[in-house]
Amino acid sequence: MFDHPYVLIVLASFLLGSAAGFVMHRSDFCIAGMFRDLFLFRDRFMLRMLVLAVVASMILFEAARLMGLLSPYPFPLLGPPSLANLVGGLLFGMGMVLAGGCVVGTIYKMGSGSLLGALAFAGLIAGSTVYAEIYPGWSVLVAATTVFPGKVTIPEIVGVTPALLVTPVAVGASLLLLRWYRQDRWQRRSAAEGYLQPWKAALALALIGTLSYVLIGMPLGITTSYAKIGAYIESAVAPEHVGDLAYFQAEPLMYRPPLGDLTVRGGAGPVLDGIAAIQFPLILGIVLGAACSAVMLREFRIYWRVPVRQCLSAVIGGVIMGTAARMAPACNVWHLLGGIPILAAQSILFVVGMVPGAWLGSRLLTRLVLRA
Amino acid sequence: MSNVSQELIEIDIRGQICPSCLLTTLREVNQRQAELKAGEVSLRVKTDNRDATSTIPAAVGNMGYPVTVEKKQGYYLILIDGRPRE
Repeated sequence: MFDHPYVLIVLASFLLGSAAGFVMHRSDFCIAGMFRDLFLFRDRFMLRMLVLAVVASMILFEAARLMGLLSPYPFPLLGPPSLANLVGGLLFGMGMVLAGGCVVGTIYKMGSGSLLGALAFAGLIAGSTVYAEIYPGWSVLVAATTVFPGKVTIPEIVGVTPALLVTPVAVGASLLLLRWYRQDRWQRRSAAEGYLQPWKAALALALIGTLSYVLIGMPLGITTSYAKIGAYIESAVAPEHVGDLAYFQAEPLMYRPPLGDLTVRGGAGPVLDGIAAIQFPLILGIVLGAACSAVMLREFRIYWRVPVRQCLSAVIGGVIMGTAARMAPACNVWHLLGGIPILAAQSILFVVGMVPGAWLGSRLLTRLVLRA
Repeated sequence: MSNVSQELIEIDIRGQICPSCLLTTLREVNQRQAELKAGEVSLRVKTDNRDATSTIPAAVGNMGYPVTVEKKQGYYLILIDGRPRE
């Protein structure tokens, strides 16, 4: 069994996911919440910790690249920038705030017993599956608005070696982080048992992402799997329709990962391919890692008495976020902790769209969902 | 320092969407400002949100009220004492 080429990938993904889930639960590293709380409470503490995670990833990725450990570079599934990244990011930002967590946040919360997390997860699957219906039209827009075809990162667009641009950005951001550190803004008090200071979580997530890139050839990413799960469910009901959808036939992933001597292919279709081997264990790992942390703290409880309005918000936010994650493509963790560290143009556009999206989501949340 | 005449208001936000916990608590604190300041009421907030154990004490503490957090069976009980610190 251990000579199967996918075994190492599955094992590595599962272990990295478990570690990420555990760490995120301990420090409540909710990226959706970081942007939402900026707009609702002017609370920037967790955003500073996100900056730390991004900058640490940037430095670790670049160090690994210089040591020849990153292959392929840039990593697969990233494409040239287009309007789709901006629009996808905007909808994603809105959806994640309404859902009460991003694509990754939702599953670590679900793992710790959150009913709303589970509802948002269901919404994500539905939204990702619906995307298959609009895929042909959306692809036309992507193609029509793509700029710098064939170029993925800013260094590629400018035509310089990555270090030339990554170094000044990383140094500038590090100086800012150092200033926050001197002002004692890296720590906060928490009465939560087993609390992990978010700066430790930020560094741990940067390390986990780097290990993922070095071992699997990509940073943490899970969103294609939501469409795949949806495709499995839909093919049980309407197999012919699933067979007719171009999105479920496409195999955008094709590369040679560092682990295992093979070419990995995969897409959103209902088959056990490279996407399934990489992402399913990662999702399972995050859920189980968070569940493990919650059980160890005796905090795993499911509360069923949740206001209907909030349940609807979680489902609808999940659907919007799921569709947006396919339109963009990919999620905030992929772009913030994967693409931004290598200065991918897609990721920069995604974040530029996501910030006003999160603002819009915060307005909708307080006006429609949590109104007095 | 007898709390016998104090009214205890319980807010149960377990299982709810973020940031319902902080929003609901702040709303309640603001609405009952006069009673809280007079020491007539105190609030008991039940939450399973780990983040709220830092954000609520920080926000409400800044408003001048003593806050304590206790871990209960699978959730946290945040006590906001209706008597501002001098």
